[in-house]
Amino acid sequence: MLPLSDLLIWSLAGVLFGALISWIPGFHIFNIMALLVAVFGVGELMPVQAFPFFAIGAIVAYAYVSAISSVYFSVADESAVFLLFPTQRYLLLGRGHEAVLLYLIGAVAGTLFLVIGALFLFPRILPPIYQATSPYITYFLVAIVVFMFMSEWPKEGDRGRTPAERLWLAWRQIFGGILVFFLSGLLGFIVMNTNLLPTTSAYTRLTPMFIGFFGMSWVILNILSNPPMLEQVPDDRVESSLYNTLKATFGGALGGTIAAVYPIITGGMGALIAGHMTSQRGDDAFIISQGVNRVIYYVGAFTLLFLPQLRLTRGAAAWLVSSIYTPKSYAEYLAAIGAILLSAGISFLFTYYLSRFLAKSFNVVHIKKLSYVVAVTLVVISYLLTGPMGLAVLFVSTAIGLMAAAFNTRRSYCLGGLILPVLISMTGHTGYFMHLLGLG
Amino acid sequence: MRGFTHYISGLAAATFFAALVGDLRLGILIPVIAAASAYFPDFVDFKFGKFLARRDYEIDPAPWDEKKHYAPKLVKVSELSEENRYQFFAIEGTVEDILVRGSGKVSYKVLREDGSEETVTEEYNSIVFTLNDGTGKITVEAFGDDYEFFEEEFGKIEEGKEILVFGYVDVDEDGLKLVVSDAPHPQGIADTIARAIEEAYREGERIVKIHNIRLPGDVYRRFLVHLDPPKREVRVEMGPIVTPGGVAIGGDVPEYRKYGVAKVSVPFIKTYPKPTRIDSFSGPEIAFRRAEFRGKTVVKDRFLPWHHGFSHSLTMGMIIGLVVFALFKLIGYEHATELALASMIGQWLHVFEDQLGFMGSNLLPPITKDVVPGFKLGESGSGLTNFSTAWLMIAFMIWNFNRFTDPRPIPMSDAKLLLLLAWPSIVGFAIAIVRSFRLRREISELMDYYTNLEAFEEMEEVGGI
Repeated sequence: MLPLSDLLIWSLAGVLFGALISWIPGFHIFNIMALLVAVFGVGELMPVQAFPFFAIGAIVAYAYVSAISSVYFSVADESAVFLLFPTQRYLLLGRGHEAVLLYLIGAVAGTLFLVIGALFLFPRILPPIYQATSPYITYFLVAIVVFMFMSEWPKEGDRGRTPAERLWLAWRQIFGGILVFFLSGLLGFIVMNTNLLPTTSAYTRLTPMFIGFFGMSWVILNILSNPPMLEQVPDDRVESSLYNTLKATFGGALGGTIAAVYPIITGGMGALIAGHMTSQRGDDAFIISQGVNRVIYYVGAFTLLFLPQLRLTRGAAAWLVSSIYTPKSYAEYLAAIGAILLSAGISFLFTYYLSRFLAKSFNVVHIKKLSYVVAVTLVVISYLLTGPMGLAVLFVSTAIGLMAAAFNTRRSYCLGGLILPVLISMTGHTGYFMHLLGLG
Repeated sequence: MRGFTHYISGLAAATFFAALVGDLRLGILIPVIAAASAYFPDFVDFKFGKFLARRDYEIDPAPWDEKKHYAPKLVKVSELSEENRYQFFAIEGTVEDILVRGSGKVSYKVLREDGSEETVTEEYNSIVFTLNDGTGKITVEAFGDDYEFFEEEFGKIEEGKEILVFGYVDVDEDGLKLVVSDAPHPQGIADTIARAIEEAYREGERIVKIHNIRLPGDVYRRFLVHLDPPKREVRVEMGPIVTPGGVAIGGDVPEYRKYGVAKVSVPFIKTYPKPTRIDSFSGPEIAFRRAEFRGKTVVKDRFLPWHHGFSHSLTMGMIIGLVVFALFKLIGYEHATELALASMIGQWLHVFEDQLGFMGSNLLPPITKDVVPGFKLGESGSGLTNFSTAWLMIAFMIWNFNRFTDPRPIPMSDAKLLLLLAWPSIVGFAIAIVRSFRLRREISELMDYYTNLEAFEEMEEVGGI
C-alpha cells in the first residue's frame, strides 16, 4: 500500500478530475476513465496502487456533481431516470438550485449511510446474505424485467372515445416499451457477442451504446425541444420535511444497496424496486432519494472492490480498476472509506457553488448551443474508444433512445441492451441465439 | 398495497417449494410465473378493466388539446354549445366590439374549512367584449382578479386586437359567454355528480368518470370532490397547480370561482371519510349504487368500481392455479404442481394483503356477491405497511434459500435466522396496528358525521326522502 499522503493526493486528483467533467451533460465518469486509461495508461503517470483511490475520488465527484447536468441541462444516465422529470419541473419553475440542494441533502445522507454501513454493517451482513442469495441472481433479474413490463403505467387511454380506443392508446405505449427493450437487447447482444467493435476496445465496447441510449438521445432532445432558459432563484431554500427526508433516505439507500450489490441491477432498477417498497410520494422525496441512491449505487458498488471478505467487482469502473490493481488489505478498505468522506465533502462544496453560479448565470449560454458542443464531444469519445463501428453503434443506440421518448415509455427499457444478452448468456442460450441471428 | 409488494409476495411464495428453489439454482426461471400470478389481479384491472369499464357520465372539466395533450384546448366558437358549460377552453380571435368597461361590487359566498359559509363583497373592475374567430362570435367577460391578470397580459383591450383568451364557458340569457379564468368552474363537476347520485337512487347505479386537469409543463390543477351526506351536498373545490409529485406550486384560483356546490335531493352516504382528490396521473371512476343502510334506501359510493372485483378473489386464485397447472403439465414441466400451488398462493397473498387496507375485495364469488370491507390496517399507499410486507417477503426468500441449500450458507437455526431477518417487518406491523386503532376511531367519528341519521330523518319530515 502506498503512503497515506500519496493516497490522499491521488484521491484529491480524482475528485478534481471527476468534478471538472461530471457537470457536462452526457459525460459519464466510466467513459471518461476508460478514455483516460486508453490514452494515457496507468503505471507511468500514476502508480497502479493509487488508481483505485483516484477512481474513488472521481466516482464520488460524479455521484455529486452530475446533479448539475441532471438539473440544469436535463441529461442524466439511466440511474437518474426518475430524477429527470421532477428536476425539469423545478428548473421550469426557476427552482433548479433548490433541486440541486435537495439532491445534495440526499447525497450527503447517502454518503453517511454508506460510510457507517461500510464501517459497521456491510463486512458482517453482506457476505452471508450475498452467499445465500447469489445463486438466484438470474431469478431476481428476470423478475425485475417482468415486473417492469407488467407495471408500466399507461399514461394515455383515459380519454379515448370508446373502450377499444382507450385500450389501444394504453397498450400502444406498453408495446412501444417492449419494442425498445428488445431492440436494445438485440443491439447489446450483437455488440457483446460479435467482433463488430475492435478487440482493443474490450473494456469500452458498451460505451457507445450507453452514450447513445442515455446521453446522445437526450442531448438531441435538448436540441430539438429548444427549452426556454428561465431565470433561476439562487436562494438556499428547500421545501421538504424531516419525515420526507428520512423516508426518501431510507428508500434511496435500499434501492442503491440492491443495485450496488447485485450485478446488472442498475440504479434505476433499484430505485424502481425501493420506490414501490417504501411507497415514495412527492417530488422532493424523489430527488432526495435519488441523491442517496446514486451515491450508494456508484460509490457503494465501487467500495465493494475493497471489502476484504467479499471483494465484489461491480460496475464498469471497478472492472477497469481491477484489471490493473485490486486492493488487498483491510487498511486499504479503511483508507477508501476515509477517501469517500473527504471526496464527498469537496464534491458537495463544488456542486453547491457551481449550482449557485449556474443559477445566477443560467441564461448566459443557451442549452441548445451547449448541447451541440456536447454532441460533437460524445461522437469524438465514441470514435476514440471504439473506432468507426463505434459510431455506427452510437447512431443505432441513439435512435433507440429517441424511440423510448417518442413512445412516451420508460427510458430504462434501453437497459435491455445489457440485460437481455446477459440473461441469454446466464441461461446458456448464447450459441442458440447467435445461430438464430445468423451470426455463428 | 403497491404492485411490487404483491409481486414480491409471489416471488417469495415460489421459494417455499424446495423443488422450485432447486430449479432456480439450476437456472430454470419458470417459477417467476408465481410472481406474475401474484401481480395478475392489478395487471388485469389497470391494463384492461380500467379501459373497458362502463362510464355513464364522463366529466372532463378541461378537455385536452389533441396534439399537445394538455389543456386548455384551442377551440372555434362554432364548436361550443351549452353542453360545454363550465369547461375550460382557449379561443383565438379578434376583439370586435367592447360592450362594457366598468367597475362595481361583487358578492360571493366562501366556504370555510369547517363547512360554514361566509359572504364576501369586493370591488372589481371588468370588461365585456365580443370576440370573433371567423366561425362565430362569443361574449368574453373578465372581472375581479382575472381582469387584473387579463390587463397585465394584453394591455388595454381595443377593438380589432388579436388575442388568445382562455377561460370557462358559461351560459346566460344572451347565450354562451367565455369567462376569463385559469381554471374550469367547479360547478359543472358538482352538478354532474349530484345528477348521477339522484339517477342512481332511481335506476340502481351510475358510474362517473372524472378526468383530471393537465396543464402545460406537466403540471396539474388539483381539485377536490367532497360528498357531504348530512347537508346533502356535493362540494367541489378548485385547488392549486401541483406537480405530478403532488407539490403545490401556486396558481390558486380566486375565491369567487373556487367552489361549486350542488344540492342532492336523495339520501346518500360516503364510505371513505376523505374528499376525493384529483390531480396527476388519471382521474378516478366512482360508482354510485343504491343500497340499504340502517333500514333506509340510500346511495353508496364505490371508488374505482372496476377494481377489486373478480380478479381480486380467492376464486380467481384457484382458476390461476388450475390454468398454470394445465399449461405447464402440458409442456412437460416437472414441477407443475408446485408451480400451480405457488401461483395460487401468490394470488391469494395479493388478495389478503389488499384486505388489510380499506377497500376490501369480493372474496369468494359466486358465493359472495359484493366486497368484504378491508381490515383498515393502513391505506394502500402506506409506506409502513408496504415496506413491512415487502421486507417480510425478502426475509422469507433469504430464509428459504438458506434452508434449501446444503451446506447452509448462513449456518444458523431456522427460527433464529427468520427472527433476525424479519424483525424490521415485525416492528413495522406493530406500529401499523397501533396506528390503525387511532385511524379506526377517526373513521368511526367521521362516518357518524357522514351518515348522520338525524339529518336523514329531518329531511324525511319535510319530504326529503
